[in-house]
Amino acid sequence: MRIVARLKQLDEILKLINLEVDVFLIDTPLSVKKISLDMYNHLDEIASYKKDIYLLINKMIHETDIESLKDILEVAKKPEITAVVCGDMTVMVIAKEFGIEKKIIYQPGTFNTNSFDNEYFLIKNIKGITISKEITLEEIERIFKNKKTELSLVGHGFIDMFYSKRNLLTNYFIYKNIEKENIKENDSFRLKEEMRPDSLYPVFEDMGGTHVFRDKALESFAEIEVLEKHLDDFFIERIFINDEEYYDILKAYQDKNFVPEFLNKYQDKYNKGFYYQYTEKLKGELSEN
Amino acid sequence: MRTELLAPAGNLEKAKIALLYGADAVYIGGKQFSLRARASNFDLEMIKELVDFAHNLNKKIYITMNIVFHDDDIFGLDEYLIYLEKIKVDAIICSSMIVVERAKLLTNLEIHLSTQFSVTNSSLANYFYNEGVKRVVLARELSMAEIKKISQNALTDLEIFIHGGMCVSYSGRCTLSNYTVLRDANRGGCAHTCRWLYDLYEGDNKLSANHDFQMSSKDLDATAFVKDLLAAGISSLKIEGRMKSVHYIATVVSAYRMLIDDYYSGCLRDISFYQNEIKKAENRQTSYGFFNGDTTIEQQLYNQRSEVPTKEFVGIVIDYDCDNKYLLIEQRNYFSPGDTLEVFTPDKTTIQFKVKEILNEDYEILDAARHPLQTILLKLDISVPKYSMIRKVKDE
Repeated sequence: MRIVARLKQLDEILKLINLEVDVFLIDTPLSVKKISLDMYNHLDEIASYKKDIYLLINKMIHETDIESLKDILEVAKKPEITAVVCGDMTVMVIAKEFGIEKKIIYQPGTFNTNSFDNEYFLIKNIKGITISKEITLEEIERIFKNKKTELSLVGHGFIDMFYSKRNLLTNYFIYKNIEKENIKENDSFRLKEEMRPDSLYPVFEDMGGTHVFRDKALESFAEIEVLEKHLDDFFIERIFINDEEYYDILKAYQDKNFVPEFLNKYQDKYNKGFYYQYTEKLKGELSEN
Repeated sequence: MRTELLAPAGNLEKAKIALLYGADAVYIGGKQFSLRARASNFDLEMIKELVDFAHNLNKKIYITMNIVFHDDDIFGLDEYLIYLEKIKVDAIICSSMIVVERAKLLTNLEIHLSTQFSVTNSSLANYFYNEGVKRVVLARELSMAEIKKISQNALTDLEIFIHGGMCVSYSGRCTLSNYTVLRDANRGGCAHTCRWLYDLYEGDNKLSANHDFQMSSKDLDATAFVKDLLAAGISSLKIEGRMKSVHYIATVVSAYRMLIDDYYSGCLRDISFYQNEIKKAENRQTSYGFFNGDTTIEQQLYNQRSEVPTKEFVGIVIDYDCDNKYLLIEQRNYFSPGDTLEVFTPDKTTIQFKVKEILNEDYEILDAARHPLQTILLKLDISVPKYSMIRKVKDE
C-alpha cells in the first residue's frame, strides 16, 4: 500500500520522503480544496526525487473547463506522472482521447459504494477507484473481497461533506453588507449549527465554489492493518491541518509505537467517520433529483 | 420533436392529476431503489395501473431508481428491472452503473441518467450515450449558455429541471445528512441539513447574528427561460416535487403546459401571466437558479419566510350530479357559505362562483366545510370534470 501525501512546498520533499511517503499528490489548475497553488509549476523538480506523482483534478468539469483539462492531461502524459486522481468521470473520458486512461484513479467522494463499481471500471481499463467516504468498514471489506481494479481510500484528515458551485461565503457577506477581504482560499471559516453548538464545521470557498467539511477529522490507525492488505493507495488529506501535525500523522502511520502519543496530543479533533456507523436510508423528506 | 413536460408524482392520485393537467410524462419512485423515501412510493401493482392509465392517454411513465447502491441494496434488482420491462414502463432513471449495466443485460428498458450524477458537459453525456443511456438529466448548476453548448454537442436526449426545490450542493455529492443525522442522502434519507440555521465564525470571531448564515437555495422557477430551452431543442423539461400536493402539481403543470403550448403556437403571453398562475399554489420563494450564470444573493434564502399562495386549495372534484346539478367534492381546507370559489379544470377552464349552501352526503346543511376528506355537495349549474381543483378566491 502506497502512502499518498499532499505536497505543499518544495523544501519539505526530503522530510516527506524520510517519513516514507510513496506518492506526492499535486494540485492542478482544476483542483478544488487546494493545498498549494504552486507545486504544479515544479513538476520536473519534484520528479527528480523519483517518487510517484499523482495530479489532482477534483473540480466538477463544466464545458468551459475542457480546454484546461486537456492542457493538464497533456502534462499527465509524461512518464513521471503516475496517475491522475479525478472527481468527475469526464476526466476519464477525455484521458482516453490522450491514451492515458490507465493513469486514472476515479475518486468522486460518493458513488463508489459497492462491489460492482470496481468491476465496471476494470472494463474501462483505468488504474483504480477510491472507495467512497460514507460507507462502513464492513462494506469496505466486502468490496475488498471482489477486488478487480486498484483500490484506494482517503483514510485520514478532514473529509468534505458538501460541494456547492455557489459562493456561499461571498454571497453571505454581500447579503450582510460587510466588506470582507480574503474570503477565497481562507481556511479559518467555521460553521456552527444552532442545535449543535459543540460542533464547528470547516467551510472553505474557492474558485470551484463552497465546501463544507466534517467537524472531526478521520483517523484509521486501528484499521490500517486491515486496510493495507487490500488497498493500493492510502490518501492522507492535509486541508485544515498544520505542518507539524501533518508530519506527525505520517510518522504515526509508519510507526505504531507513535500512535498513542499522537492520539494523546490530537485525539479531540478526530473520530472514526463511518467505519462503524451505519447510515439509515429511506427516511427522507426531500427535494427532488 | 416537441419538448416533453415531465412532472413528479408521489402517489397514484398525483400522477393522474399531473397527466390530466398537461404533463406528457410522469416520474415516480417504486418502493425500492428510489430516492423519495417518504413520497408514498408506488408498489408494483400501482406502477402497472399507472402505466396503463398513462398509455391510454398516449403518455409516459418513468421509474426512478436513483439511489447510490451499496452491496446490501442490490438484492432484488434484476427481478425488479425485468418486471418494469414486462409492464412496459417507458424508462428508468438511475445513477449507479450497476443499474445501467443490469438493465442493459436483462432488458430493453430505456435508460435515463439521473441528475444525481451531476453531468455538466457534453463529453460526459456522449460517453453515457455510448454506454447505452438514452437521456441525461443535466446538473442544475448549468447556465443557459452552457446548456445550449451541451445541447449542440450532445448525442443523448437532454432533460432540464425547470421548477421546484434545488440541492444547494452538486447532487449526489453531499453527505451532510449522513454525517449530521446518520441518514444517507444518496439513499433517500436526506434530512435537509443544508437548510438548517448556522452561525459563521472566522477563527474565534463570530461573524453572523442569530444563526442567520444559511446555505438554503430558493426554489427554481425557470419560466423566463423556457422559451430558450425549447428553442435549444431540449427533450424534456422537468418539474421537481414528488412530495408536493395535488393542487401544486395541477397548478404548476398547467402553467408550464400553457407556456409550452403557447410557444409552439406562436402566441406566447407575457411571462408574468404564467408566473402568476404558478403563484396560486407556490408557497416557497423562487428564483432562476444558475440559468443566468453563477448565483448571487438573489438565489439564496437568508430567512425562513414562505410565500403565501394567492389562492387557497379547498377541495378536489370527485363527481358531478347532472340531474340535481350538484358538485361532489372531497374537502381539503376550510371554507364556508359566502366564500368565492374558483373551479380549475384539467383543460384549464376556470369558473368562479359564490358558495350559497354546503351539504353533506345525506343532503344535510353544514355551517362550513371543516373536515378534511369529507365528501360535500355544492350547487353549481355548470358540469365540471372529475379531478378539477377547487380554490378559494381571497378577498382583495
